[in-house]
Amino acid sequence: MNYAELFRVMLPETALEIAALVVLVVDLGFLRKAALNVRAGAAALLGVVGCAAALWVMPLQPLGGYIYPSTGEALLATGGTAAAAQIGILALTALTLLLLVDTEFTQHVGEYVAVILMAAAGGLIIAAAQDLLVIFIGLELLSLGLYILTAFAKRSGASAESALKYYLFGGMSAAFLLFGFSYLYGITGSTDLHRIMLGLYMPNAAAASPLLYMALVMIAAGLGFKVAAAPFHLWVADTYEGAPAPAAAFIASVSKVASFALLISIGAAAVHVFDGMHGKVEVITGFHLNSQPVYLGFRNVWLELLMVLAAVSMVVGNLAALAQISVRRLVAYSAVAHAGYILLGLAFFSYTPLSAAAILYYVLTYGLTTIGAFGVVAVVERATGSDRLEAFSGLHQRSPLLAAVLLVLFLSLAGIPPLVGFWAKFNLFAAVLSVSRSGAAVGLVALAVAMSAVSLFYYLQVMKRAYVLAPADETKIALPPVTLVLLAFIALSVVALGCFPDLLRSWIAAFYGGM
Amino acid sequence: MLIQEELTAAFHPGMQACASTVAQYLWLIPAMPMVASGIIALLKQPRRKPAAALAIGSLGLSLLVALAAFAHVVSDWTQHIAVRETVNFTWMQVGASHVELGWVLDPLSAVMMVMVCFVGLLIFIYSVGYMAHDENFTRFFCFLALFAGAMLGVVIANSILLLFMCWELVGLTSYLLIGFWYHKPSAAAAAKKAFVTTRVGDIFFLLGMVWLFAQTGTLLFYNSGTGSLEPLALGGMLATPSALGLTAASAIALLIFAGAVGKSGQLPLHVWLPDAMEGPTPVSALIHAATMVAAGVYLVARVYPLMSAGLAPGGTTLALSVVTWVGAATALFAALIAVAQNDIKRILAYSTVSQLGYMMAGLGLGGVAVGMFHLITHAFFKALLFMGAGSVIHGCHEEQDVRKMGGLRKEMKLTFLTYAAGMLALCGVPIFFSGFWSKDAILEAAHGWPFSQVPYAMLVFGAVLTAFYMTRQVSYVFFGEWRGHGHAHESPAVMTVPLAILAFFAMALGLIGTPAWPWFRAFLDSRVAELDMHAFAEPAWLMLLGTSTVIVVVGIGAGWLLYGNKSPAAEEPDALERALPPVWVALRDRLYADELYGVTVIAFYDWWARVADWLDRFVWGGVVAAVAWLFRGWAQVNRLIDVHGVNGGFDKGCDELAAGGGLISRVQSGRVQSYLRLLAVAVVLLAAILFWSSRG
Repeated sequence: MNYAELFRVMLPETALEIAALVVLVVDLGFLRKAALNVRAGAAALLGVVGCAAALWVMPLQPLGGYIYPSTGEALLATGGTAAAAQIGILALTALTLLLLVDTEFTQHVGEYVAVILMAAAGGLIIAAAQDLLVIFIGLELLSLGLYILTAFAKRSGASAESALKYYLFGGMSAAFLLFGFSYLYGITGSTDLHRIMLGLYMPNAAAASPLLYMALVMIAAGLGFKVAAAPFHLWVADTYEGAPAPAAAFIASVSKVASFALLISIGAAAVHVFDGMHGKVEVITGFHLNSQPVYLGFRNVWLELLMVLAAVSMVVGNLAALAQISVRRLVAYSAVAHAGYILLGLAFFSYTPLSAAAILYYVLTYGLTTIGAFGVVAVVERATGSDRLEAFSGLHQRSPLLAAVLLVLFLSLAGIPPLVGFWAKFNLFAAVLSVSRSGAAVGLVALAVAMSAVSLFYYLQVMKRAYVLAPADETKIALPPVTLVLLAFIALSVVALGCFPDLLRSWIAAFYGGM
Repeated sequence: MLIQEELTAAFHPGMQACASTVAQYLWLIPAMPMVASGIIALLKQPRRKPAAALAIGSLGLSLLVALAAFAHVVSDWTQHIAVRETVNFTWMQVGASHVELGWVLDPLSAVMMVMVCFVGLLIFIYSVGYMAHDENFTRFFCFLALFAGAMLGVVIANSILLLFMCWELVGLTSYLLIGFWYHKPSAAAAAKKAFVTTRVGDIFFLLGMVWLFAQTGTLLFYNSGTGSLEPLALGGMLATPSALGLTAASAIALLIFAGAVGKSGQLPLHVWLPDAMEGPTPVSALIHAATMVAAGVYLVARVYPLMSAGLAPGGTTLALSVVTWVGAATALFAALIAVAQNDIKRILAYSTVSQLGYMMAGLGLGGVAVGMFHLITHAFFKALLFMGAGSVIHGCHEEQDVRKMGGLRKEMKLTFLTYAAGMLALCGVPIFFSGFWSKDAILEAAHGWPFSQVPYAMLVFGAVLTAFYMTRQVSYVFFGEWRGHGHAHESPAVMTVPLAILAFFAMALGLIGTPAWPWFRAFLDSRVAELDMHAFAEPAWLMLLGTSTVIVVVGIGAGWLLYGNKSPAAEEPDALERALPPVWVALRDRLYADELYGVTVIAFYDWWARVADWLDRFVWGGVVAAVAWLFRGWAQVNRLIDVHGVNGGFDKGCDELAAGGGLISRVQSGRVQSYLRLLAVAVVLLAAILFWSSRG
């Protein structure tokens, strides 16, 4: 075990943890007597500095990640997907931290920022993990942080209620995940993703195929919980509704990016091993009656699982969102739908980095947009005391800027050009179709496009209230300065990245050697 | 032509690889007004001064950059370097194909951007006075700045896609500005008409663009030898046959020309331009006289290598002859109509259509330099005339009917003097006015066209009519007795100073394009400009000078004879009406072009709209309703599951627990139980699906 090497790989996580401790010391030590807004500002600023420090030390990571010396098994990756996702996680974390500054749901801002930073460290680990145990540790680190964040508005009953629900659901999912991992280890004798994939092509794995099915179903349940894929999405609406807005933004963005980065790692490990095996053995799925050697492999079973999850998520998410009267729940169900689109990209995963790049593009821009949406919701909630659709009536007259930001963000989420959400969907669906032109792929893409059209309906339901209906209360909504700058920045980025789609695409492509 | 080829060879091509600093920053020219427009859009209505300052300041900065770029091109040109610097970048990548955008700095774009910035700046300043009383002052400057940015984007574009995008943006701002006083139904209708009519041309332009991309695989005009206007691609397009015996090059050129026809108000798509005069007068001056309508001419000049692909010395191509004929026909047709109009701005509008016809004919007959020279001189004197007309309208309390004016030369001295300069330039009065030199070059080219003398005859007759209708207008407005109501007054200095500056250029600009010193033509063609006074003594030129003089004398003389210093009342029939009643009526009714469209195209659309409406209502509507019903049903089912399944389980759990006395945790545990139950069910179902599907 080369601890110095491991430390270098873990430098960004270390930076975040140190920042978390510094925040606690400053907030509980030096600023104990200061006003709440000063403490919130200082804590958020320190948190942002921590994220910046983590970004700054990233180039010091060794190439190739950390490989366990005695067995040659990979633990953590650097560069490629891991690096792109980690940079995204750090940037999105910084943005959610800034959302804290103008809110007052808690007195314990130091603890709040510290927990966010620690959870983000978990996210960084997940994004880089190549080993089942590391994955599990990262997931728990992130999830525990999220449970605490959800419960952070201690005076709010809804916050505590949703946190407990989230925790129970998450605990159950983690149990499933761990159970699935243990089966996988049992079948292949390894915890390294690449070795597991290789092991699944061995003849002795074929005999254990029912076991493999159960293992993958349980893993899908565990990871489906993290990315809020139907039918493992039941926690989403309650959590988004009950959690404090900045915490909900963190759950909806950073946690999503980390979890999808993990799914990309799994997909990439599967296709690369499959690619290596391709020329040597004939890969057949299913049971053979006449006891021929059967090589099950990971990929086909996984493909089928993800296809089911994707289709169910797209349909359930979009249709359920139609019936919502709370904007937070609406965003929550739309998150399920977006997870469905991304799962489609993961199901039809390419040998080239095409799919990985498209998924990263999608999830990063989605995270950015959602943070903005929660920022707007938070401001409206503070002004009206509600996140119901009626609370958004006449928003254009009460605050034209807020309404304009929401319009840009929601149109982007619905995938209207020239906003960035359009290019995200376009790249993703193009990647799917370039991998497979089978009936299933084309059918699912058609379903996804149709469902995007449905999604436009509920996004515009909100915008109709904001722009067409008269406000119940004519008073202007004042935008606090930090939130104003943050929202304007996010909306402008959504427009600019949409007008110049090549900026982000080539940035991501650079992590894959330019593609 | 042959001589020109040899001279061009003496020029070194400019370095393509590394664009100069000024070319690198060329994007600032359109970007600054656009950013200003965005900021103005956020300003509140009463913030008049910042709005005007932002618009004028940004365009002023653009003018500085444009002048720097122009100076760079000129200095290289004097060192015998043919400048064509391009900066290209990939806008997006889809699979293996790149969509590239870029901008170009060459003599053509340099001249055009200086003109647009300069004239635009003067009109912006003038608008401060003209729109002073309008409550939507800030909105006006927002649109105006956006227009300037988009127009400059058209000018610097090196990619047909970028050009098209800015082209559409220009069309949009034109729509917004024509309909600026949208509470007037006629303005709203005119805006719609302009938008829809130009769209007809734009569709063809779009087709041409797509075809060009399909043929050459690039959207860039110039790209170090691989652009679509460079010899390699042109050769390929010439060799590719298409339908009706055309080469691909001709077909694409004609499609792109159709776009120019729409934008530049050429026959048969000219009908929107006179109606566009419903907009505020500075808009008419900037958009519908000096810049946007000239964008079509500029487009043809930009793709001239495509238009002239396969041109033999002394010959012509199909595309160029189409351009010539359409231009000449438009020049004559619109000049005829202008004779019998009574609205001061409408006369100028038809005159603009006519002059755009001259520019097109100039491009078709004599090449880029001839057409562009008239474009530049026309931009100055027509902007001057429109702004003068605006000043007159302003002074006469929003009166636009020339019959209700008269004698204004006394009340509005400065306006009269500048207007007269513009009018004489438009008539083409020899030697002292720029319009003479530029129109002369077109007539010279038409005279030398070996295929037919008909365009020459049309252009000459059009020129006579031009002198005639301008004399008629000036007589009505500035001579005779005051026939309006109230008291006319001179406009403020913020309006008259720009007029004076433009008047100076309307006279002086001719100096850069005389036969003795064809600086402008040499500059655009990248040749050496030599001073040769003997050119004035050449018999061909002297004959043309004679023709021009005759044209002007006949036109102005006839006009003065009929209208000079007389003051017919508004009800009295026009002098020409008494002489030739049927002709007058036909001309007054604009030769029935609108009526013709009314009974053909529009009637067809009405019929088709009714058919589509029926289809929509009874066929597609049914389908959509069915789908909607299906989805709503599904959503309802989902909701029912939510309410009765999930919540029901929750309620039941609550009841059970309440009965059991578990008071504290009833809210959470009931619901989560059913959640977790569903989680387990989902896992089992997924596994079942897997097992079931792998069985077969």
